[in-house]
Amino acid sequence: MSDALRVLDVSQLEPPEPLQQALAAIDTLATGVCLCLLHRREPLLLFPILEQQGYDHLTCATPHADTGVSAFRIYIWRRHDSRAEAAACQALSQLP
Amino acid sequence: MGTSTPTRNTLALSLDQAPPILVPLRFFLTAPVFGMLAALTLLWIGPPAWSTRWSPAMLASTHLMTLGFLTMVMMGALMQMLPVLAGAPVPRARRVSGALHLLLTTGTVLLAGGLLFTRSDLLRLALPLLIATFGLFLYVMSRCLWRARSQGPTVNGMRLAAAALAIAVILGSLLGATRGWGWNIAGLHLTDLHVAWGLLGWIGLLVVGVAYQVIPMFQMTPEFPRPLTRWLGPALFVSLVVWSLSTYPTQYMTLPPFIPLSLAALPILGYALFAVVILTLQQRRRRRLPDVTVLFWRVASVSLITAAGLWFMHALWPTAYTDHFALLSGILMIVGFGVSAINGMLYKIVPFLVWLHLQADGGRGRLTNMKEIIPDEHTRRQWWLHSAGLCLLIGAVWRPSWFAYAGALAFGLSCLLLWLNLLAAYRMYRRLITTGP
Repeated sequence: MSDALRVLDVSQLEPPEPLQQALAAIDTLATGVCLCLLHRREPLLLFPILEQQGYDHLTCATPHADTGVSAFRIYIWRRHDSRAEAAACQALSQLP
Repeated sequence: MGTSTPTRNTLALSLDQAPPILVPLRFFLTAPVFGMLAALTLLWIGPPAWSTRWSPAMLASTHLMTLGFLTMVMMGALMQMLPVLAGAPVPRARRVSGALHLLLTTGTVLLAGGLLFTRSDLLRLALPLLIATFGLFLYVMSRCLWRARSQGPTVNGMRLAAAALAIAVILGSLLGATRGWGWNIAGLHLTDLHVAWGLLGWIGLLVVGVAYQVIPMFQMTPEFPRPLTRWLGPALFVSLVVWSLSTYPTQYMTLPPFIPLSLAALPILGYALFAVVILTLQQRRRRRLPDVTVLFWRVASVSLITAAGLWFMHALWPTAYTDHFALLSGILMIVGFGVSAINGMLYKIVPFLVWLHLQADGGRGRLTNMKEIIPDEHTRRQWWLHSAGLCLLIGAVWRPSWFAYAGALAFGLSCLLLWLNLLAAYRMYRRLITTGP
């Protein structure tokens, strides 16, 4: 099930790179595959674009024990792609 | 080990519902014009304008800046952001923003004219227009903020700023009525309250709330400390309320002056702390790639700290340089803090808006780089002019005969350059959107 999840880490990138890379990635998302976006903050600017382009998403905030900084995981999949959605839910349930 | 909070977001907010680009952009393109009008006013009157903060030219320029520039931009930014935060569009966004823009523009022009030429008939026209503007705006803001999903510090900051705006508008209306209809109200006392609630309340709280987002996001700094984001806004607001009440003479007694003075120190310290935190965060930027908006925010922070220091000096030596102090504080808060922070914000917001609306048009590959929309060199040039203008305006407080014209000219040119930079971005949008497939 691991190839149903594609991880993209944009947390170290300068704006507008995170946004541009995320959009490029969802463009090339295969059916049944879910994108897991790692970012250092909640990508508020991304959500309206995802809604408009027909993607659903789940956001999860996990505080890092050492730095006390929240890292965000945003799972994105094409709307009505149930396999990708299942992959997202499973990945979420496996988080500590 | 961590706690995860998944949020399923299935809102039907589509970009079609999000307002088209002119909804915010008309405000952003008008604001620098008001900056130029303020500069022209000061240029026309020259050194006599600087004799006191109460000179007609200074009053007019102040309101051209606070309403025509600062509030204008904030109104536009909120018209863009409120639907996103509330998770629901502003009904008839295009018409509402058009109406707000028209009302604010005409109201401000009439107000400035009435103040500059001491024409109470113009003030009597301006006041209903401005009250209508802010009434409509506060109504829209309240509806969106009431429904806002997010409870974060930025949204809470906006709520507090909206309340402060309402208070500032009420006080301003009373003052306007004094001048326009000859009402007899305690003028000086109300003016201090109006200035405090306008600058430290409305503008300050909004800039603080927005800074929590834009500085870490765009300048690659660490996040603001959680205790600060949680408590600063409410603390500033409450301290303003307490101070305001303490200045109000009751029929039983008036508090000894040191009490309201000490209470006033609290919001001043709060803002100074905010500025110090910004400077510290900027020192810890992840990437050291040069970014002009960092410079704008640095000027804003230093201005804020300087204004705070000035306040304490004046509190300790009240009789020295009273008029200089008032003018200097005004320049530092409005131009040094307000205009600088807003300049910094605009150079990030406008390219993003242009890019966003081109995306919605379906041509993603059309524009690869958001940084191409406003070239860095143009931004830097404008920063130099802005900073030079600020220094010269500060000089004009001390030596109007030397610096009044130079300061007004430099500031006017800085606004012109800002306007041209933003206009170029809009022209690029127009060019690309109509020639697409």
